[in-house]
Amino acid sequence: MLQYIVPATGLLFTLENILWINIGVFVGSVFAAIPGLSVILCVILFLPVTYTMTAIPGMMFLLGIYCAGGYGGSVSAILINTPGTPHAAATMLDGHPLSRKGRTKAALKIALYASTFGGVFSALMLLFLGPQVAKIAAQLGTAEYFMVCVFGLTIIAGVSGKSIIRGLVSACLGLLISCIGTDPMTSYDRFTFGIPRLYLGLDLAVCLIGLFALVEILAKAEKKLGELRLDTAKMHDDGKISRQEYKRMVRPVIMSSIIGVLVGIIPGTGASEASWFSYNTAKNLSKHPEEFGNGSVEGIAAAESANNAVTGATLIPLLTLGIPGDGTVAIMLSALMINGLNPGLSLFTTDGDIMYAIMLGLILVNLFMFIQGRFLTTLFAKVVSIPQEILTPIIVIFCFAGAYSVNENYFDVAVALVFGILAWILRKLDLPPVPILLGLVLGRMTETNFRRALLISNGDPSIFLKSIYCKIFLALIIIAVGAIVRGKWKEQKAAKAAAAAQKESN
Amino acid sequence: MNKRILSASLALAMTVGLLAGCGSSGGGSGSGGTSGKGSSWKVTCPWAPSGVAAMVSQKAAAKSTQYSDKITLVAEAIAGDAATVNTWVMDTEANDPELVFVGEGLLSITSIIDPSKLQFKEDDFVFVENLYSSIFVLSAEANLNIKTIADLEAYVAKGEEISVAVNGATGSEAFLAASLFGKMGAGDKLKLVAYQSAAEAAQAVAKGETQFAVSHQSQIQETYQQGSVTVVCAFDEKAIENGPFAGVEGVGEKGYPYFRNRCFIMARAGTDEATVKELKDLYDKILADEEVVSWLQDTMLLEVDTMSQEDVDAHIENVKSIVNEYKDLVAG
Repeated sequence: MLQYIVPATGLLFTLENILWINIGVFVGSVFAAIPGLSVILCVILFLPVTYTMTAIPGMMFLLGIYCAGGYGGSVSAILINTPGTPHAAATMLDGHPLSRKGRTKAALKIALYASTFGGVFSALMLLFLGPQVAKIAAQLGTAEYFMVCVFGLTIIAGVSGKSIIRGLVSACLGLLISCIGTDPMTSYDRFTFGIPRLYLGLDLAVCLIGLFALVEILAKAEKKLGELRLDTAKMHDDGKISRQEYKRMVRPVIMSSIIGVLVGIIPGTGASEASWFSYNTAKNLSKHPEEFGNGSVEGIAAAESANNAVTGATLIPLLTLGIPGDGTVAIMLSALMINGLNPGLSLFTTDGDIMYAIMLGLILVNLFMFIQGRFLTTLFAKVVSIPQEILTPIIVIFCFAGAYSVNENYFDVAVALVFGILAWILRKLDLPPVPILLGLVLGRMTETNFRRALLISNGDPSIFLKSIYCKIFLALIIIAVGAIVRGKWKEQKAAKAAAAAQKESN
Repeated sequence: MNKRILSASLALAMTVGLLAGCGSSGGGSGSGGTSGKGSSWKVTCPWAPSGVAAMVSQKAAAKSTQYSDKITLVAEAIAGDAATVNTWVMDTEANDPELVFVGEGLLSITSIIDPSKLQFKEDDFVFVENLYSSIFVLSAEANLNIKTIADLEAYVAKGEEISVAVNGATGSEAFLAASLFGKMGAGDKLKLVAYQSAAEAAQAVAKGETQFAVSHQSQIQETYQQGSVTVVCAFDEKAIENGPFAGVEGVGEKGYPYFRNRCFIMARAGTDEATVKELKDLYDKILADEEVVSWLQDTMLLEVDTMSQEDVDAHIENVKSIVNEYKDLVAG
């Protein structure tokens, strides 16, 4: 490891990288602060910008957006009781009440400190755990990789929204779309309809622009958006946090960072799950549980440290196995692969200096997020008030320019448009888009490894259970699916009970 | 409502303006020849950015400014093989400052196996230079203890199934494996297992997923040095002369078919002869650079291999004859 750290430091500490980190952090904070604009949308819109960059500045820029998005979401959650991103919902429970008590700056400060700690902790975990996991990944063969892919596909159960069935339908659609192009095992064409540009398959970034960005524009056009007026006079408190409050924050921040890392490593779970789980854990362990929901510093600290502790952890399966921990990092895979960096052990050996530079860079990203948060939060907060009729055309421009710039042709612009309309129809049918993304990312890898493994074994399916790694992954698949299905079942049960109680009270 | 109309009009006007701007500054801007002041020539490699061709192209591009004040080569890798070259042909015209790599895979293999995939003909290109040639090697799982062609022939004579890891289902490696084992009379026992990259195929044999693999020398070197594989033979006329595999027998010595892997740099047909010559001269200067030569030989385990149009034609025909003879073993 040490042999890579020194050259990595040299590669990382350049003016270009520092600049891109700061641009990424700024853009991520602003996007996440605006309700309705998600981090995933931001990463998709800015992904094409990285295609002209080398690996390190490109990844630094995207990681800047990703990490700052974790913190930025808390700004509107605290100020206007509307989470900028879904994972800031837990922060809102105590952040806004504390703001109403006249301690807005203090609430934002707690969120920033906790986010920074969680992010740095997570980056250190990536630095130390990543190479170890990569060593194991190097021992995996075709059958084991297929099991890893299936494990990755369990993410679908976690991101299916209310209905797992609908999630599976979306995922199947994604898997089907991933079949477009040349068959990886025979080189014959599939679903290309004689269109030469389709031999390559569909570009992931172009599909994502349609699926996640253009669809948002179509959805905005449908509804009347209320104006978000922010009174920045709210932020004129001194922002002081007492020593007692700092002491109370220590335990939930550490606990939540550990929870965030553990949750982040598991594909299918993400920042939202981590922040709610941590919030509940902090409440159960607190000496002042009655303060939760009424402006508890522990509540804000727990939720924010957890959702930022996920950021580095989700990169562990991505960089070592090519399995994205969540939808946002799935997009970052494109930025790596465009630079010829394929996930696996070789990433940590052949390209060790680049990889360690990226991992060390994640620490730097969190530190710059802290600096920008300290001095620019008021500015981020003001962005919340930008009228949608100005923001929307700007996003449209980014969408089309992004789609064009991927391969510099209009065909991709048309593809993005088709995917935008498709996503809009799916939204009408209440089918979630994230499983489509996972189907697109994992489809080809799953299919290739499945067919190749059967070719190697002459059609004997027992190859998927032969090695110890296959058995471990099978157990993990069963546990993950079981846990997610149980969670969904509990959710439904609780919802039914609540509905019954409401009916009774009426 | 007014705000929505305003917003929609703004978005439409900006989008149309932007895309129109993109189109006018896009491909075919035609800085034409190289006679003016400095001009950039984009060199598109239609294979993986981490592959051998892309790395060599990158190296040549980095050296271009050292040998020319007028031409700057800009290397780009867009994986996609036929699709990338199709797009390139569609988007370019004569004298565009664009170059593309085309190998025997497209000109000799795809043109026979799946000609509908090619939206171009050989006539659409004009040959500039060949940068290198690579001698593929056949490696075997170490436990099999196969170190020579004689060992291999003895193993094949046992009549057991033969599995070979190759890069792509119908790539050069697949045809080399098919021609060797087919000529040995073991075509019916041959199972080609396609991987997504040459490096992945080279790793497969070390993990015991297949008994053999065909790969570039550089891709099997690390595994070979770790003792996980043995290197049986080289797909060349004679034994390998340099590098870690020096002395490994060439299949040509025993009468088996072979070809080297070559990737030609092409310009769009109709490009001025003087421009093509200038580009060829630049590449020749780069390929004569001592640093480039030693990098190709020692690191990439390749050979500098400048060629003429006649050499190119001969290479394409040789590969075509092998493909025609063994296509049933590869493509079924």
